[in-house]
Amino acid sequence: MNALRTMADDFRARVPPWGGKALAAALIVFAILLPFSINQAGTLMNNCVLSMAFIVMGLGLNTVVGFAGLLDLGYVAFFALGAYTAGWFSSGFYADANVHVGVSKYLNALPGVHLNWLIVVVIAAIICAIAGILIGLPTLRLRGDYIAIVTLAFGEIVRVFAINGDAIHLFGKNYPLTAGRQGITPVDQLDLPFLEPFNQLNLRPWYWTALVLMLIVLLMNIRIRDSRLGRAWIAIREDEVAAASMGVPLVKTKLQSYATGAAFGGMSGAFLAAYLNTVNADQFQFGFSIYILAIIILGGLGSIWGVVAGAIALTFINYYFIPEVFNDLPSKFGLNFNLVDINYLIYGFLLLMMMVLRPEGLIPERRRKLELTEGIGVEDSQLGTQGL
Amino acid sequence: MSEGDDILTAERVSKIFGGLVAVNDVSFSIPRKRIVSIIGPNGAGKTTFFNMLTGLYKPSTGRIAFDGKDTTRTRPDRITDHGIARTFQNIRLWATMSPVENVMVGQHSRMKAGLAGAVFRTPGVRREELRVRERAREMLAFSGVKENRFDDLAVNLSYGDQRRVEIARALASDPKLLLLDEPTAGMNPQESASLTQFMHKLRDELGLTILLIEHDMKVVMGVSERVTVLDHGEKIAEGDPAEVRANPRVIEAYLGKQG
Amino acid sequence: MEANTGTSPDAPALARNTADRVRGFLNSYGLILVLLVLPVVYGIQDLKNDGNLAHLAQNLFAGLSNGTIIALIAIGYTLVYGIIELINFAHGDVFMIGSFTASQFWSGALGIGLATSTFGIAGGILASLIVAMLVCGVLNVLIEKVAYKPLRNAPKLAPLITAVGMSFILQNVGLLWIGGSPASVDDLIHAQQEVTTILGVHVQRADLLAFAVTIPLVIAMITFITTTRLGKAMRATAQDPEAARLMGINVDTTISATFFIGGLMAGAAGLVYALYETTIWYFQGFQGGLLAFTAAVMGGIGNLRGAVIGGLIIGCIQQISDNRIDPAWTPAVVFLYLILIMVFRPQGLFGEETREAG
Repeated sequence: MNALRTMADDFRARVPPWGGKALAAALIVFAILLPFSINQAGTLMNNCVLSMAFIVMGLGLNTVVGFAGLLDLGYVAFFALGAYTAGWFSSGFYADANVHVGVSKYLNALPGVHLNWLIVVVIAAIICAIAGILIGLPTLRLRGDYIAIVTLAFGEIVRVFAINGDAIHLFGKNYPLTAGRQGITPVDQLDLPFLEPFNQLNLRPWYWTALVLMLIVLLMNIRIRDSRLGRAWIAIREDEVAAASMGVPLVKTKLQSYATGAAFGGMSGAFLAAYLNTVNADQFQFGFSIYILAIIILGGLGSIWGVVAGAIALTFINYYFIPEVFNDLPSKFGLNFNLVDINYLIYGFLLLMMMVLRPEGLIPERRRKLELTEGIGVEDSQLGTQGL
Repeated sequence: MSEGDDILTAERVSKIFGGLVAVNDVSFSIPRKRIVSIIGPNGAGKTTFFNMLTGLYKPSTGRIAFDGKDTTRTRPDRITDHGIARTFQNIRLWATMSPVENVMVGQHSRMKAGLAGAVFRTPGVRREELRVRERAREMLAFSGVKENRFDDLAVNLSYGDQRRVEIARALASDPKLLLLDEPTAGMNPQESASLTQFMHKLRDELGLTILLIEHDMKVVMGVSERVTVLDHGEKIAEGDPAEVRANPRVIEAYLGKQG
Repeated sequence: MEANTGTSPDAPALARNTADRVRGFLNSYGLILVLLVLPVVYGIQDLKNDGNLAHLAQNLFAGLSNGTIIALIAIGYTLVYGIIELINFAHGDVFMIGSFTASQFWSGALGIGLATSTFGIAGGILASLIVAMLVCGVLNVLIEKVAYKPLRNAPKLAPLITAVGMSFILQNVGLLWIGGSPASVDDLIHAQQEVTTILGVHVQRADLLAFAVTIPLVIAMITFITTTRLGKAMRATAQDPEAARLMGINVDTTISATFFIGGLMAGAAGLVYALYETTIWYFQGFQGGLLAFTAAVMGGIGNLRGAVIGGLIIGCIQQISDNRIDPAWTPAVVFLYLILIMVFRPQGLFGEETREAG
């Protein structure tokens, strides 16, 4: 018996070696040109932009759950931190301050802290990387399901701070931590050279920015996956005692996965804050963590292209098909509610069905498929390890 | 006896789990470039002792020093950095990786590429990846794994091949001391003999020091320059194979266990 | 270097340095110290402001009373984790369904309201209790069969995800049933009515209900687990499923029974909650579930006595936080405690130390 064939293996077998790269290039060209052929402010454009933001989120969570095997149920924390970074450093929220770096003439005249979005993204990535390490630290000696609960707890703590942050004043009366449920709004719209002005009416520049962000994160993911670090994550996931015995430093390697995954979430969060033009506590509920988890499960745990597929599929389902296309489906059957009302039910069934019927997802990753369907490479280490 | 002759010394090491004394006040040293064995009935504490040497357990008492450095409380991955590598009693390969990938991870401590290196893929990093992959193939070939199995899934390999891959993986970290935990378990006499020759090769060609846990007396007698016997967590005898074999306490320990 | 004369007084000292000793101390006592922080701080404040501890005593009493509800739910978490090492993420939502079932049963099926006679109300509550317990027991068993049993050999990630899926499904059921906002429930027992005052602590009817339901149930539970065959089978399977199977125990039935009993407790908690708080909400299971899970972990997951005591402790923490700090911050306070438990003493108050992280 040879290695189990997945769709990707079949594809590679039938197509010459440059086929994969050619397909990827074609998809990228298609993606770049797409906005020219569709309504620049329509639902389709909106869904495309959201999809790409969620692809980045999914890739981030995939780094932690898919690659390193650490079950993180509190990923919303990084969305929040990334978004608040944008809220703090690129809006009129702190009206008493007067800081302007690299922004347009228009923004230069406004009160508040206004940093160029590119700077904000970097700050968001750094803040989230640090947060990821802090959140990851307590989980290092715990086993799988406990990691899930602890990360969930952190996510909820962040939400509580988001809601009540309007009462916390770290640097003085006019510097509250958050704006609670009302939210920080407006958030500076992006302003990047060579692109049309960013606003809510013309989504094209948002689209291309998201596309570039997504491509960068995608490339980083592919490179990390096929590197010394990527292999170390697989080794830790399957058998961390053997990994440590072969020279893989467990703490450092696990924290690297938390930090990297968190940084991606923060970058996407900073983008979404500007795109959605608000940062409010209601955006940061547990359900969001599950939404991103559903993306990587549906797409294929550990599979980079799976995440892309899953994010696009779920975003369209969540933001388009359910609320707009099929919303009145239940009433056609004489039922007394809309499809939006059973959103949770749909997700619940999705998760249930996926794990029972096709746990490896739409575009399976070879190793995970073996683990999930055959139980290969899954074990609880027999040896209790001390002081790792 | 100067420490310079011994690559590893364990001084009065014990391991106590709750109420159970698994290893009791054992002192033990390994001379450089020798092949030595630890034997003893099941449950004697051999693997527990091994695990303390490799940092998986912290000794409850005592000190361990390797190559002049104190490694009593050192983490397993740092111990590998210092130059100790091991195999496991129940083979612990990463099942969904190929032998080549397994041995590449074995070189983790000898590689430099970090997160930044992975992301930017500088020429240095690319060269390192190629070098590590090549070396993995060399180690596998050196350990007797056939080339057509190099890229199979580790879980699909024969038992003997899996053991060889595990040894190759241990060798990949460029160790000075190799710990083998029952390496011939499940092997037939020819395979055991060939492993014995292989161990000599490791000592003579690579200058390795080897510590074995073994049950197979033929292998122990054939390859060890010194044998240490543990029973109920205590050292009850030590010396060259013939001496130990004739030691009445040792005989009693083994026979007595059948009672 | 060959001294092997056995243990002697001059063996090198235990290989423990200060870091180890601090860690050991924190592991043994850290959790208790952390738990004492809130009551001690506010106790001192009370002594300064009022000259007595009546306020704190009231907080603690209310905490114990609330804690009984949490304890009942925690029992379900701890029993299930003990037997299959799985967090039944949907358990909190089973509790929510219990509240819904009980309240809709007495008001809908039995037609009991504020105008009904005391006898009718008492009977109605009892009937609702039984119905809620049974419904939740069966529901829990169904959850096991649908979401966990097919995945018994899968990596732990899989059943955790299906658990979350079931949680979502149940929440949506609640959402469709009663709606998105908290709904009020008839105050059948006049929950806030004061019954008596003992040593400055006000005792309300709600408190009596909570203790009246919980204490007999917990006693029955413990008796069941320790004396009956099924109870022993549950303990045996929790310790070592393979050995239990070899002994002729039907592991599948035992697991189902465990879920059933956990569900019974959650249903009871649901009824008490409905009458106690006089509101029900589809989201109460998520919150209550996390509180109860924290309680189970604090007591030592898998340990029945620990779950009950953990529930009472979390109830007190919740009360003190609600009353003294701000209800808006209480979830953060409780979760902080959860994280501290995981860091300092993952085996909880009554768990064994040698098990790896619980």
